[in-house]
Amino acid sequence: MSTRATLRGRIERLISSFEAGERVEAAARDQLIEDLAAWQATRISEYGRLQRHGAWPPALPTDVFRFRRIAAHPEVEDRRVFRSSGTTSSERSVHAYRDLGLYDFAARVAARHMLFPDVERMRLVILAPREDEAPDSSLEYMLARFAQWFGTECTWVWRHGALDLELLTEQLRSAEASEEPVAVLGTSFAFVHAEDGLGRQQFELQPGSRLMQTGGYKGRSREVDPEALLTAISTRYGVAAPWIINEFGATELSSQMYDTTLREAIDGSVGPRRLWVPPWMRATPVDPDTLQPVKGEAIGILRIDDTANLDSVCCIQTSDLAKRLDDGIVVLGRAPGATPRGCSLAADQALGAR
Amino acid sequence: MSDDASAVGARAAAVLDAGGVLRAATLEERADWLAEAALTLEREAHHGSKTLSEATGLSAPMVEWAARTTLGTIRKDAMLALAQEARGRSPIAMLSVVLAANVFTASVRGIVVPLLLGVPVLVKASSREALFPVMLRDALRRIDSRLGASMDVVAFGGGDLECEAALVTLAEAVSVYGSDETVEAIAARLGDIPLVAHGHGVSVAYCGADALAKVPIGDTIADLSLDICAYDQRGCLSPQLVYIEETTQSSAEHFARRLADEGLGPMSKTLPRGPLPLSIGAAQAQWRGIAEVEGTLIRGHDYAVAIRPPQPIRWSPGFRNVTLVPVRGLDEAVRAMEPIGTNLKCVGADSVSLPEVQARLAASPVLSAYACTTGTMQTPSLNAPADGHPIWHGLFQT
Repeated sequence: MSTRATLRGRIERLISSFEAGERVEAAARDQLIEDLAAWQATRISEYGRLQRHGAWPPALPTDVFRFRRIAAHPEVEDRRVFRSSGTTSSERSVHAYRDLGLYDFAARVAARHMLFPDVERMRLVILAPREDEAPDSSLEYMLARFAQWFGTECTWVWRHGALDLELLTEQLRSAEASEEPVAVLGTSFAFVHAEDGLGRQQFELQPGSRLMQTGGYKGRSREVDPEALLTAISTRYGVAAPWIINEFGATELSSQMYDTTLREAIDGSVGPRRLWVPPWMRATPVDPDTLQPVKGEAIGILRIDDTANLDSVCCIQTSDLAKRLDDGIVVLGRAPGATPRGCSLAADQALGAR
Repeated sequence: MSDDASAVGARAAAVLDAGGVLRAATLEERADWLAEAALTLEREAHHGSKTLSEATGLSAPMVEWAARTTLGTIRKDAMLALAQEARGRSPIAMLSVVLAANVFTASVRGIVVPLLLGVPVLVKASSREALFPVMLRDALRRIDSRLGASMDVVAFGGGDLECEAALVTLAEAVSVYGSDETVEAIAARLGDIPLVAHGHGVSVAYCGADALAKVPIGDTIADLSLDICAYDQRGCLSPQLVYIEETTQSSAEHFARRLADEGLGPMSKTLPRGPLPLSIGAAQAQWRGIAEVEGTLIRGHDYAVAIRPPQPIRWSPGFRNVTLVPVRGLDEAVRAMEPIGTNLKCVGADSVSLPEVQARLAASPVLSAYACTTGTMQTPSLNAPADGHPIWHGLFQT
């Protein structure tokens, strides 16, 4: 019979093994997912109602986090609650944490492996609000931890809801002059705001500098084709494309996935741009009707099993379209549900029923 | 197929010109031509069902069913009866129609009725589904050159304002099918030209206790299944919610199970669902998961039935994902419908409940939907109202 303590111990051992450079067997991860799901189904009634289809435990749709509290512990034990962005409560996913130990551990080990594998610490410039400006954002929480774990110094250039272009420029010019590499981390829409505001300015950041962008646009800036943005910011900051990576995270998850190109550039290997899936996670495109894994490199909807989701639900069904590529995953973006939904969508919006 | 503004303008002028000859023909002649064209088109849709299936995303059997049931309403007697309703009025000189793509046969009534009443029509087909309107035009042309000259089809990308201006400039009314955003955007650009709006909508059904007891339940299940499966539940007339009057003898869960096993399941074979677009599939996975978390979900290979309370409404993505809502009776069902307001287009009801449903809708200050019997929701008669108005709304001089 699993208990929270034994499951937590198994998750920690899985991540520790990877951190120590040991091989993590997929079978061990899969068994842990199975046991976690079984334990969570007995404690979270919403999850317990889902029926199993096929070999894997059922996956809880991300939308459920918008309507129901999904937690294996009572509200009084919440230590931190993350919410996704959105303007109304029904648009915001809520993920309650009883403790952030596993979140921190998974975030640190993944970022060390994929974002900072070659340096202990480096200078950080962050295009996102400080943690105290957005205390319910998991992204801001993670970036604040990065500042503690990986930063020599850290400057936050998103202040009071807007990008401080003057400060960003000052930081980038200073980094150019210091002959020291810098990591520029931020949301995709913040990078677009920088593109729109920096005019013709260009920078030549030092070798070893890197950029990490995350998240979608959510109406906060004009939308830019990912390839076009990659080209634009590569030129803007003087950073080669492989050193510019995407991070994939979500409020409903406790772990993150990263593009492979930076790590491969550092290791001297070459491969297509894809997301690395930490060995304590399982990311699988599934068929929307059967919810079973699609074959080969077919496109499906992305199911993510994140063992670091101890106190909520490990098995999550997202609305992202994705496909396998080599040993990783390519996320093709959120499915545009509006077009063929006949007449229903606008009524849905008009009624405010969701 | 994509036209530039000069081509659109030229076709508009030609269609407008043809109006005089069309109106010179007698009503009987026009009805004869249209009935014959409908028969021709039905045969062509049968032979071309594979091509239409690819164009519409519906299965070939569904395409054939849709063409047969829609074109089957274009009968001479029905047309003459409709014209009788609208007698004594002067038709406008020309109508322009902007079509949507979700239900490919939606163009039929929107084109046939104006032509019957002497109004030539220029149709802007959906960029995703221009095939059927073109087939209709060609069928009209084959039957009679005067009729054929009175209807034409153009295609251009949404947002091409030059083409849009050419489409509407000569029209005395513009009929727009599409999202509320599309309708509003076009309305804002029309100026003084009257708009006949066919924006977003949803439909529901109601089954009273008698439908589950006195009427053979097999009939109720067959009728509802057809309403749900037709056009893969993509249209405004597709029931998204079915209000079920629960009694001590009939539980919603029992009915849902039978609806799945005896209705939707078998219909997957006779009228198969088209391929599920991934974008819809993503929404379906979310909707089904929520339904399972919040209530009961019965899942088939290509359909699902959820049982949920009346509120909050969670609209499905269509594609044969339907919600059964247990209620204590019609009072509670109507209260649950009222927040949908004018977005509610049609209420299907069992034959026993229909008169009462019609009376309640007529008395409602907030609902403008029309009622019909279940099993006919997706096959409106030629003279069924559209968006709260007679089908000939906008086709006459005011």
